[in-house]
Amino acid sequence: MFQDFQDLYHWVDIQGHRIPALPRNLGITVLFLCGAYWASSILIGHTGGENNSALVFVLAVALISLLTSGYRYGIVASVVGTFCINIFFMEPYNAFSLSRTGYPVAMISMVVVSCVICALTARVKKQALEAASREKQTRELYETNEKLNAEKAAIQLESDRIAIRESILRAVSHDLRTPLTSISGTVAVLLSSPEVSEKNLSMLMDVKQDADSLIAMVENLLSVTRIQDGSLPLQKREEMLEEVAGDALLTTRRRFPDCHAELELSEDILYLPMDSILIRQVMVNLLENAVRHSGDTLHIQMRLYRQDDWAITEVRDHGRGLSPEVIQAVSAGEAIPLSGDATRGMGIGLSVCQSIIKAHGGWLTAANHPEGGALFSFALPTGGEGT
Amino acid sequence: MSEKQTILIIEDDRAIGNFISRALTANDYRVISAYTGKEGLSLFFSHGPDLVLLDLGLPDLDGLEILTQLRGLPREIPVIIISARDREAEKVRALDMGADDYVVKPFGVSELLARIRSTLRRAERLKLSQGIQRDVYQIKDLSIDLSRHQVLLDGKEVHFTQNEFKILELLALYAGKVLTYDFILEHIWGPYGGSGSNQILRVNMANIRRKLKENPSEPKYIHTELGIGYRMLDD
Repeated sequence: MFQDFQDLYHWVDIQGHRIPALPRNLGITVLFLCGAYWASSILIGHTGGENNSALVFVLAVALISLLTSGYRYGIVASVVGTFCINIFFMEPYNAFSLSRTGYPVAMISMVVVSCVICALTARVKKQALEAASREKQTRELYETNEKLNAEKAAIQLESDRIAIRESILRAVSHDLRTPLTSISGTVAVLLSSPEVSEKNLSMLMDVKQDADSLIAMVENLLSVTRIQDGSLPLQKREEMLEEVAGDALLTTRRRFPDCHAELELSEDILYLPMDSILIRQVMVNLLENAVRHSGDTLHIQMRLYRQDDWAITEVRDHGRGLSPEVIQAVSAGEAIPLSGDATRGMGIGLSVCQSIIKAHGGWLTAANHPEGGALFSFALPTGGEGT
Repeated sequence: MSEKQTILIIEDDRAIGNFISRALTANDYRVISAYTGKEGLSLFFSHGPDLVLLDLGLPDLDGLEILTQLRGLPREIPVIIISARDREAEKVRALDMGADDYVVKPFGVSELLARIRSTLRRAERLKLSQGIQRDVYQIKDLSIDLSRHQVLLDGKEVHFTQNEFKILELLALYAGKVLTYDFILEHIWGPYGGSGSNQILRVNMANIRRKLKENPSEPKYIHTELGIGYRMLDD
């Protein structure tokens, strides 16, 4: 029963929503009164009695009070109905008369009955509405609760994953870096010792070089694990770009004492938010690429400058240049092709650069310089966002 | 006369400890190795080393705890911290607590030796010049005259703002030692001067660098310790 009320009400509510309340309510009232009048005129032809028309009008009043807002329209309809019955469906027909015995009592009781129906209907309607809104609230509360539970579980899962990742990182950093440091260090001690023969010396140099390139590889792996799928946030701080670049160049020179690389500073002071450890890694990778793959280690240039809202770092060599595939892959942000023995480790280094720059909201491009050699440049936003 | 200087290594990783020990022995230092914090402290008191190499990640005691104990002693023995690269906050804390210098894993032998030499030399210098303030600091072609408030580079005067000069003066006073951003900020601008941001210091430093024609990739006078601070080179 309630369900029907609600459905009916909703239907009317939805249908009538486009019509303003006053014409809608008036329309309903007039429509049902006319209906009652029409039904009564048919009935009176068959039965001739006045009791039937009173019931028809009471039904109309009940429906009107159900479908209109408030109970005012129901009361008006009941009064109008009473007069209608008196005028049209009681003798003398088509005239108002209180002459018949007992009629005033009947008329008053009909008004009272109609009003009571109005009041009851209005109350039922109100209760139905309240029940509906309570139900809606309960449902919303339940849904919110469900959603919060799901979010909590997701956060828990995420923090578990971060914890696992961090413990793996710690394991990698300790278990790989430490022995590599000690290998490289021990060989360095041997290299400086006078007791090593010429032949062993060159073998030891190879060991040292490999250990150092493994250390560099571990650094790259650590960087990439740190930013992959963004589960670990960047540790951004305002940093002086020239200081990061200087550090990167010093690191490269320490690893490749024979290379010759220069840093050209910008006139502007480039002070911008970044994860300096990762940006330094990008610079080291680009410089090492130049040293190891360009075929010319003597004219490597690094240049810093500002262009609009970007701080740009360029690394240029004067070597054999890049293959079109590499240029294409870097610009499209795709995986770098690992072709040819000359590019050992180049792909990994560049991929690391790509993901680090992307995480910073910047861009990396590769090109061949018109005067020869490869030119890598990457840009970082100078704006304060994300600090 | 040329008695060997003694270095105490407190490092739990034997492989690293061994290679440092070999490198130092090969370079004419006497080496004592400890693998735990407690052992390190007891060796420190029994041997009285000239310098301590301290790993911050020890199994039993916190490295910073050991540093606090060493700094509580009347005689200050130089301490060089060994730390992982991505632990900047830890390094800064250690330096602010009185560590003289740090090396970052993975480090090379030559780098470590350079740091040790520089730190020992500075300690020696401090011992000789105890209490005596110098007026002129000479670092290669750079001379900083405190009484005349004058900086000469290659004999030619270079003009600095008051704060730039104060920064240079502070770095020269502690030449060879890493000064953290906070340390410099507090000394130049007072405890609340930096108001939480070290941009003012970094910009001043960029200007000093330009006036000295310094390139951070070939530091002659001021070395940048990325994310930590600055150091005036003394050799």
